[in-house]
Amino acid sequence: VFLARKLVLAHFAVALVAFLGAIVLGEWQMLVRSPLHAWVNNPEHYYRSVTAHGTVMAYVLPTLIAMGFGYAVSELSLGRALVGLRWAWAGFWLVIGGTVLAAATIAAGRASVLYTFYPPMLASPVYYLGVVLVVVGSWIWVALMSINLRAWRRDHPGATVPLAMFGTLAGAYLWAWTSVGAAVEVLALILPASLGLTDTINAGLARVFFSWTLHAIVYFWLMPAYIAFYTIVPRAIGGRLYSDTMARVAFALFLVFSMPIGIHHLFADPQVGAGFKFVHAAMTAMVSVPTLLTVFTILASVEIAGRLRGGRGALGWIKALPWDNSMMLGVTFSFVMLGLGGAGGLINMSYQLNETIHNTQWVTGHFHLIFGGAIVIMYFMIAYELWPQLTGCAPLPRRLVNTQLWLWFVGMLVLSMPWHLVGLLGMPRRMAYYDYSDPALHPQAWTVTMSTLGGAVLVVSALLLVFILARALRTSGPSPSFTFSVTAHPGAATPALLNRFALWIVMMIGLTLVNYAFPIAQLASLKEASVPVIPIGSR
Amino acid sequence: MPEPSAYRWDNPWLRWSVIALVVLTIVTVLIGFVWLPSVHGDFTAQGLWASICRAAGVPASWSNAPSVKAAWRATDVVLDRDMTRIADKDAVGRGATLALNCTMCHGAQGVSASDAPNLAGQYPEVVIKELRDYQDGRRSSTIMEALAKGLSARDIDDLAAYYAYLPKARTSPTTYDEALPALVRVGDPLRNIAPCIACHGQVDQKLGAPWLEGMPKAYVVAQITAFRDGTRRNDPEAQMRNMVRTMTREEIDQVAAFYARKASTNPGQ
Repeated sequence: VFLARKLVLAHFAVALVAFLGAIVLGEWQMLVRSPLHAWVNNPEHYYRSVTAHGTVMAYVLPTLIAMGFGYAVSELSLGRALVGLRWAWAGFWLVIGGTVLAAATIAAGRASVLYTFYPPMLASPVYYLGVVLVVVGSWIWVALMSINLRAWRRDHPGATVPLAMFGTLAGAYLWAWTSVGAAVEVLALILPASLGLTDTINAGLARVFFSWTLHAIVYFWLMPAYIAFYTIVPRAIGGRLYSDTMARVAFALFLVFSMPIGIHHLFADPQVGAGFKFVHAAMTAMVSVPTLLTVFTILASVEIAGRLRGGRGALGWIKALPWDNSMMLGVTFSFVMLGLGGAGGLINMSYQLNETIHNTQWVTGHFHLIFGGAIVIMYFMIAYELWPQLTGCAPLPRRLVNTQLWLWFVGMLVLSMPWHLVGLLGMPRRMAYYDYSDPALHPQAWTVTMSTLGGAVLVVSALLLVFILARALRTSGPSPSFTFSVTAHPGAATPALLNRFALWIVMMIGLTLVNYAFPIAQLASLKEASVPVIPIGSR
Repeated sequence: MPEPSAYRWDNPWLRWSVIALVVLTIVTVLIGFVWLPSVHGDFTAQGLWASICRAAGVPASWSNAPSVKAAWRATDVVLDRDMTRIADKDAVGRGATLALNCTMCHGAQGVSASDAPNLAGQYPEVVIKELRDYQDGRRSSTIMEALAKGLSARDIDDLAAYYAYLPKARTSPTTYDEALPALVRVGDPLRNIAPCIACHGQVDQKLGAPWLEGMPKAYVVAQITAFRDGTRRNDPEAQMRNMVRTMTREEIDQVAAFYARKASTNPGQ
């Protein structure tokens, strides 16, 4: 069945190599601004590094994993060869080409814009071209996912779409709509200014367009992790998925609510009205619904596993769980980090509380915990799950895998908890150095050292991950057949609307129009919002 | 293909999903645009419609003051990227002729032997801005104000083109290591002093920030001191005044010495 084997392997291999490079940069950033190191001589090198680290971790890694995993899910769950394999390779090469262009521009010092597209700071057009190519490559993936589902439906009229494929499509459609914001920003506002065709830019409008993409992109990153929660975890730990319907509801709600909430990133922006800020904050709160549904459903599924293994009583099932199972460990760590990060997220999305932590290290701590922690650890689990399929290797060494997961979990907490603390105290993010000799900052110096140590543990964990996966290439084992989780109630009817997307897509677009159309139209017509551009490294 | 029943209003899944979303949207909009503004005096002073407009980000007026008094401005020159374009040969030629007036202080080839600033290789927008500021009285100098008075806008552009055309006074390539004064390299974050090289070249060269390498030390000291004391005020948004306000005399000396230390050995260059 697995015709796209090479394709999926290519996506994961490139993602992992890029990840390894970017994580070393991240640790270098922590080191040079910690008390362990003298101030970095050329602060520009620090910002260059931040740009590279963020571009790879936020755009390249999750896009490649989502694409690779999507192709694998398409073949494994639909049980048929991927339609459009050549197009998929074209998409892959576009992503690679875009990454190389962007990376070269960053390395040359022409794109130190810190990976967020916030004008009037502008990078060289080549950098934006690179990012656009990455996105266009991913759009090919979106189209292929849709085409493959359609082909399967034609052959299976009236059948229920497998849950893993349903989640993949939800992620794909979400990404297609979500990436439109940044695409419009880059094509209509940034590129003309970056190419020198205009010397002013509507910064307020650009920021609103970027917020369109900025928050929902997080849910695009998160989709592969959620698909793994629902369709792999219960099987891997010997349980049953508690509710297939609940899973579909969660995916549909993500589709509807992840999009029209990005203005909570602009709480400090005076050009956006307070009314819209409140509406976006309220809708952001709605995202907690599918998140909590997932937490509940997965915990129930895990409980089933515990009870099937003989666990009794209110809490006895927890003891009976297979704690030496890598997936058990992975999902536990993921949930702990999701819980802590989610609690922090409630602070971020609240209009008033946000004021205390806006643009501080708290924010860095938050998204490292949620994305670098809860989501990326599930990317690892996906790679571990797929590896025997992709490479025909022997089963992976469980103790080594567990060690790697432990290191990632501990490292991420040691890295991000001090950031949360000093964020509350007001430490700004994205600083190349801090003056620890000042009596006001001196008491916080140890936290930066702490984060540096946490980062070092993460580097070790990442090396171990790549070592485990690379070493497996030299082994060979029986080619196991891949299965997804079985639900606790097999054969239960799926509500027709949870087997298709049109309603949820209409809701997603409709809600986006309600929440974004007015601020965009208003700012687009506001002449005063245009400011002179500031090209980075242009002289 | 969808079964006929999926997208019909009598499908309770569809009905309740749509109703719930519409109700949620209406309720949040009412809270955000009507209820929350109603508890805030700024929003409600001019009635309900005005408060809704304000919550949407479009107040009827952005300020209640009937007339905002024009603030004192540091400079009337708006820096424009067009000023940086390389001029044609004719402009350079005209500028060279006009520059004969300037040689007494600024040197025959734009490198001064008399503690006046070097102009050779100076960024054109810098020369344009300073000359216009002298004309407008935004920057004061008995000699320069008098000389600038007679220049037309085109004269100024031509002079800028000529001086930009001359080879820069260069200090030999400096490796930006710990030997550099800290203020030049990394500034002093807790005094809000940004590193010099963040604007004046090396890390980045910002529009309007002059080329400093090889400048006479006495000139740099005089200008930083003038910014610090507030006697020179033609820096937009008080950029330089805010940078140097807390600099000590020794620090000013050190920074100026750094930029001057390797002045070109051949002033005629």
